[in-house]
Amino acid sequence: MKLLLWAERWKLRRSKILWIAGFATVMVALIVFAQGQFMFYGSRYIDKAGWFMTATQSLATFYVLPAVIALLGSYMICREEQEDTLKSLRLIPVDEMKLTLAKMALTLVFSVLIYLLLFVITFLIEAVLHLEALPISLVLENLKTYFLDGAGVFFAISPIIALVSRMKKGYWLALVFAEIYSFAGLFASMSNTLKTVYPMTAVFNLSGYYHASVIQTLIGVIVLLTCIVLSLFILKGLNKTAK
Amino acid sequence: MLKLIQVEFLKLRRRKFIWLMLLAALFMPLAAVFYFANIKGTGVEPIEFYKWTAFSYTPWIILPVVLGMLCTMLMYNENQYDILKQLWIVPVNKVAYFFSKFVVVLTYSICFMLIIAAASILTGVLPGYITFDSASTLYLLRKCMEISLLTAFAVLPVLAVAAVQKGYILPVCLTLVYTFLGFILLMVNMYLHPLSSMTAIVMRDIPGVVITQPLNIPGAFLCIGVWSVASVMLAGAVLKKRK
Repeated sequence: MKLLLWAERWKLRRSKILWIAGFATVMVALIVFAQGQFMFYGSRYIDKAGWFMTATQSLATFYVLPAVIALLGSYMICREEQEDTLKSLRLIPVDEMKLTLAKMALTLVFSVLIYLLLFVITFLIEAVLHLEALPISLVLENLKTYFLDGAGVFFAISPIIALVSRMKKGYWLALVFAEIYSFAGLFASMSNTLKTVYPMTAVFNLSGYYHASVIQTLIGVIVLLTCIVLSLFILKGLNKTAK
Repeated sequence: MLKLIQVEFLKLRRRKFIWLMLLAALFMPLAAVFYFANIKGTGVEPIEFYKWTAFSYTPWIILPVVLGMLCTMLMYNENQYDILKQLWIVPVNKVAYFFSKFVVVLTYSICFMLIIAAASILTGVLPGYITFDSASTLYLLRKCMEISLLTAFAVLPVLAVAAVQKGYILPVCLTLVYTFLGFILLMVNMYLHPLSSMTAIVMRDIPGVVITQPLNIPGAFLCIGVWSVASVMLAGAVLKKRK
C-alpha cells in the first residue's frame, strides 16, 4: 500500500491538475474578496473581522471545491484506463481495489490540503486587513472548520468517485454529479431535517459552521461514515468487473 | 458551413452523456416543488413560481456549468481521438469549425431552456400550485429564449479556452470558477462579466426583482459583445497557428 501511495504521488508530478486545482482555490478566495467590497448598511462586508474566512469556506463548498476534488479523484482513476496504463498495471499484477484505495487516500489528503490552502489565503488577507481585531480563538475555530470541511467533503463525495472508478470513462458524470450534489446542499440547508441528513450539509454540522446540537453532529458523522462504507462497497465489486 | 453544422450534430448521435446532461434541467423545477410544498403552499402567482424554476439559479449556475461541460466535451473529444489532424487535411476552415461547435452549444442551450419551460409548467400546473394561462406561459417562453441565447454567447470564453488547449481539466475548472465569478459579481458590478450582464438583461422586466445597481442594458450587451469577440479572436488565432 505504501508503495502504491508513493507511485501515485510520483504520477502526479508531471500532471498539471494540482496547479489547476490550486488556481481554482486562489480564484475562489479572490472572487469572495470581490464580494466583500459590497456595501451593506454603510460598511463593507470585508471590514468585519472573520467574515472573509467564514464566507469563503461556505461559498467554496457549495459552488466550487467539491467538483474540483471529485475531478481530481476521478482524473487519477480514469487516466489509467484512458492512457492505457491499466493493462500494464494488471500484468504486474496490481490489485485494482488496492490501487483505487491508494488513489482515494491521496484524494483525501489533497482535499484537506486544498482547504488548508484556502484557509492560509483567507487568514493572510484577514491578517493584512485587520490583525488586531482577529482573536486567536476565531482563527483556531476557522482552522478546525476548514480542516473538517476538507475531510468531510471528501467523505461526502467518495461514493461519486467510487462510482466513477467502476464506470472508468465516466469522469464527466462525476463532475456534473458532484456539482449538483454540492449545489443541492444550498436547498437542503433550508429544512432542518434535511440539513441533518444531507451529506454536504452534514459536513457543515460536523465542522462547526452550522450551530448543530450533539445529536445532529452525531447523525452527521453516521451519514458521512455511511458514504464511506457505500463507496467501499462499490469498490469491492471492482475486481469482479475487471476483464 | 451548413454541412459542418450538420456533421457536428451527427457526431452527437452516439454520445449518450450529452443527452443525460439534459436531466439537469429538471433540478430547479423539482426543487421548486419541494420549496412550495413546504413553505408557500398553493395559489402562487405563475411568475413567482417561474422565478424559482427558470429565472434564478438556472441561468446563474446550472445552465452555465452544463454549457461549459458541453463546450469542453465537444472540443476534447476531437483532440483525444486525434481527429483534428484529419479535419485540417480535408481541409476544414478553422474559424468555421469553431462556429459550428458554437451552433451546437447554442442549440443545446435552447433545448435545455425549453425543457425547463415545459418542466416548470408541468410541475406548477399538475400539483395545482399555479393556474395555467397563456400570458404567463408566453412570458416564460420569451424569457427562456432570452436566457438560452444570451448564455450561449456568455460561455464563448470557455469554448475558446477548450479549443486552444488539449486537456479537459483546465476548461472544466475554468467553467466552475467562471460561473462562480459571474454569480458573485452580480452583487458587485454586473457589467464586467458576461454571465452577470446576461442576468442584468434578463432581469430588466421581471416583476418583483430589485436590482441595487442602475440598469444599463447597452453596457450589458457591450460586455457580452466584447468578451465574445475577444474569445472568437483568441480561438481563431490559436487554431490557425496550430499545425
